[in-house]
Amino acid sequence: MNEYRWEEIQIGLKAEFEASFTEEMMQSFAQISGDYNPLHVDAEYAFGHGYMGPVVFGMMTSSLYSRLAGMYLPGKYALLHGIDIDFNNAVFAGDRLIVHGEVSYLTEAYRRFEVRAKIRKTDGRLVSKATIRVGFHE
Amino acid sequence: MDSDTILAQLQPIFQDILDQPDLVITRQSNAQNVEDWDSLAHVNLVTAIERHFKVKFALAELQGLKDVGDMIELIQRKLSQK
Repeated sequence: MNEYRWEEIQIGLKAEFEASFTEEMMQSFAQISGDYNPLHVDAEYAFGHGYMGPVVFGMMTSSLYSRLAGMYLPGKYALLHGIDIDFNNAVFAGDRLIVHGEVSYLTEAYRRFEVRAKIRKTDGRLVSKATIRVGFHE
Repeated sequence: MDSDTILAQLQPIFQDILDQPDLVITRQSNAQNVEDWDSLAHVNLVTAIERHFKVKFALAELQGLKDVGDMIELIQRKLSQK
């Protein structure tokens, strides 16, 4: 876990990591969120609607943005203020994902920064992009 | 830039950040008389205003502001220093 403080944050500071999800993790997310939409939990239904399998919840893949802030940018002292997310491509269990974030703006007066972040599959296809607003707790 | 132009350019910023499409701010508007202008919204407003006018504020400059009119004056000062 990184432990960046405000003084160490600068435009262009980057972080990147890999992640993937299993069907068991998708079941857990369905329980946590209460979202049992068949597109995510019923393979036959998903296949019948043009997908190769149950689609990983968009908010589940977006939980990687929480990890990006809480573990990497800035890490330990993060306090998440907000995230704007756009989804681009479906993700399936076993897909390897690359999460990339880069500091893009500093609101110096309030010690808050923005991270432009993207999640891509290893073949380069864009899964989602986000603007993450992060401050610090003491 | 004159103060009326700045006020006009602030309108869509406040409408967007405070999620009130019909909101009309005046020079007397402040966090006490505008709904949902809380501390987090304030940080979002400052960030959006910095970006729009391509200026940067210091905390000490922001702490002295009591309403939108003061913010307009601060923006004018910042723009004149560029």
